[in-house]
Amino acid sequence: MRPEPGGCCCRRPLRANGCVKNGEVRNGYVRSSTATAAAAGQIHHVTENGGLYKRPFNEVFEETPMLVAVLTYVGYGVLTLFGYLRDFLRHWRIEKCHHATEREEQKDFVSLYQDFENFYTRNLYMRIRDNWNRPICSVPGARVDIMERQSHDYNWSFKYTGNIIKGVINMGSYNYLGFARNTGYCQEAAAEVLKEYGAGVCSTRQEIGNLDKHEELEKLVARFLGVEAAMTYGMGFATNSMNIPALVGKGCLILSDELNHASLVLGARLSGATIRIFKHNNMQSLEKLLKDAIVYGQPRTRRPWKKILILVEGIYSMEGSIVRLPEVIALKKKYKAYLYLDEAHSIGALGPSGRGVVDYFGLDPEDVDVMMGTFTKSFGAAGGYIGGKKALIDYLRTHSHSAVYATSMSPPVMEQIITSMKCIMGQDGTSLGKECIQQLAENTRYFRRRLKEMGFIIYGNEDSPVVPLMLYMPAKIGAFGREMLKRNIGVVVVGFPATPIIESRARFCLSAAHTKEILDTALKEIDEVGDLLQLKYSRRRLVPLLDRPFDETTYEETED
Amino acid sequence: MNVGVAHSEVNPNTHVMNSRGMWLAYALGAGLLHIVLLSIPFFSAPVAWTLMNIIHNLGMCVFLHAVKGTPFETPDQSGTRLLTHREQLDYGVQFTSSQKFFTISPIILYFLASFYAKYDPTHFILNTTFLLSILIPKMPQHVRIFGINKY
Repeated sequence: MRPEPGGCCCRRPLRANGCVKNGEVRNGYVRSSTATAAAAGQIHHVTENGGLYKRPFNEVFEETPMLVAVLTYVGYGVLTLFGYLRDFLRHWRIEKCHHATEREEQKDFVSLYQDFENFYTRNLYMRIRDNWNRPICSVPGARVDIMERQSHDYNWSFKYTGNIIKGVINMGSYNYLGFARNTGYCQEAAAEVLKEYGAGVCSTRQEIGNLDKHEELEKLVARFLGVEAAMTYGMGFATNSMNIPALVGKGCLILSDELNHASLVLGARLSGATIRIFKHNNMQSLEKLLKDAIVYGQPRTRRPWKKILILVEGIYSMEGSIVRLPEVIALKKKYKAYLYLDEAHSIGALGPSGRGVVDYFGLDPEDVDVMMGTFTKSFGAAGGYIGGKKALIDYLRTHSHSAVYATSMSPPVMEQIITSMKCIMGQDGTSLGKECIQQLAENTRYFRRRLKEMGFIIYGNEDSPVVPLMLYMPAKIGAFGREMLKRNIGVVVVGFPATPIIESRARFCLSAAHTKEILDTALKEIDEVGDLLQLKYSRRRLVPLLDRPFDETTYEETED
Repeated sequence: MNVGVAHSEVNPNTHVMNSRGMWLAYALGAGLLHIVLLSIPFFSAPVAWTLMNIIHNLGMCVFLHAVKGTPFETPDQSGTRLLTHREQLDYGVQFTSSQKFFTISPIILYFLASFYAKYDPTHFILNTTFLLSILIPKMPQHVRIFGINKY
């Protein structure tokens, strides 16, 4: 290891010429079965890792075709050049300038608006802005009503035509179990509670905002997850960002996945701990970081870390991949680290009884130290929870920012969660919960299979209800969104810089509320649009698991 | 579509140059520029190559060494506002493969231009000046000589 200025030696290992190793962090389970796996088209881990996985783990990220990648760069290059041209025209007043500028008198002052930082927003995002922030005016179930809007100045401003596009098939809402409804007994129960308690709580948990409904909800959540105790918060994002600082601090180490959500990243940064990032879902990378952390300790002082916390998510919503939880738990036990599992998308959506990714793999919930999740996705409500040992939750009740400063959850929302959770657990006497879970699993399998057969490149795990369909080129992002809306289907499209530059995608979120007819209609339209926009890139060349050249370097972020 | 909404990548600019197909796209773009220059009838081969060298180096200088910051807002509170793209590559880790590739490519163009110019003195002076002007900003130390491009 080459000593660096400052004497810090506990970074990732360097080769003699200072380059970071690449390629060694490859999933070893691929090596022995590459030939058969490539032929079979799937990779099974049932017997490979000494029986850690009780079911096949099929996760595929097909590589970008080279021609498509080159054309994508050409597309971005052309857009950049035209962006410079338009900026030039706007600067010399040849073209009307729609965005905010300073007054004439203030032109000589230090600039108020950083022009270059908004280059992308001005010149690329504005062109296809009509695909986002679409106002909906009905409950976001399987079908939704969208308010129609028009723009006469190329998306700089929108006018509502007064029309409402009714019955748009909703492939974008996180409505995995179909609880986003305005009829049914969940809604009636919530309406009753609204009459009794009102809408607001007007206080924090620690002051006078702790209702009996909160206690009831938390006991129910703890029973649902299989943990000793749980605590709920009014906002899912705030659950992560306000509780991680309560759990770790300076002198602790956070090992966070590459593709973790912004709430986890924010929480990790606020805590003041050292953050190290491992490659997405790559257990070799995680093990290497754990080993280095334990062997080398803190930088400079070489003292042991106070705590090592591994942050992972259940389902990664941009990739559709599922965390390799059995391996993470095995590593955590071996190196005595703590595990924080964010099940925002996977709670309710995975597992034979809907209890999330722990249930999906058949593991013991006691192995996960902190189980976090949100009620926004599968329960049709809002808010988040943290579950774990009673001592941990008691500590969080006193030390969490959300508990002390944030208003507690609203009563009708809590009732919605209570009724939907009881429905999923089967305690309301009907088998509606079980049917929803099964319907979602069937929809997932069917939809993914049909899309793959059509020839689209789909990322992610076979069982994940989040389905990213690759679009790649910037123009196709806008075209796909608009064409789908013309055909009465609402989709969410994402591009650079929220995704890597050549991996723009459309993300479908499947729901138990989607019937087979709805899915067939959607698939037919997707097929048509795929032919029109030439999106069927798949060549069935399955790269062994997560062998994507995501990044050559890993880096360490310290707060000192 | 904002930075940081989906993953913890602080500055996506850092590994744009490492992505799949970027080097090929760059090589094809340079090849296209050369074909355009060669198609102009009154340029001889040495002139076309020298012009190619000059235009390529100027373009690279503008896009990689003159333009600073990122075209989108990053969650690191504009820590990279004063860094050129070259300095942002790979978060400042030096001697990565894309940095080496983009250092070697003007040198290869220089060899080819010198060869096709049959080592003519005028062409030599032009080519060498422009080569040095593009190689000096590529040094691993992030220093602004004479304060050029500092803010």
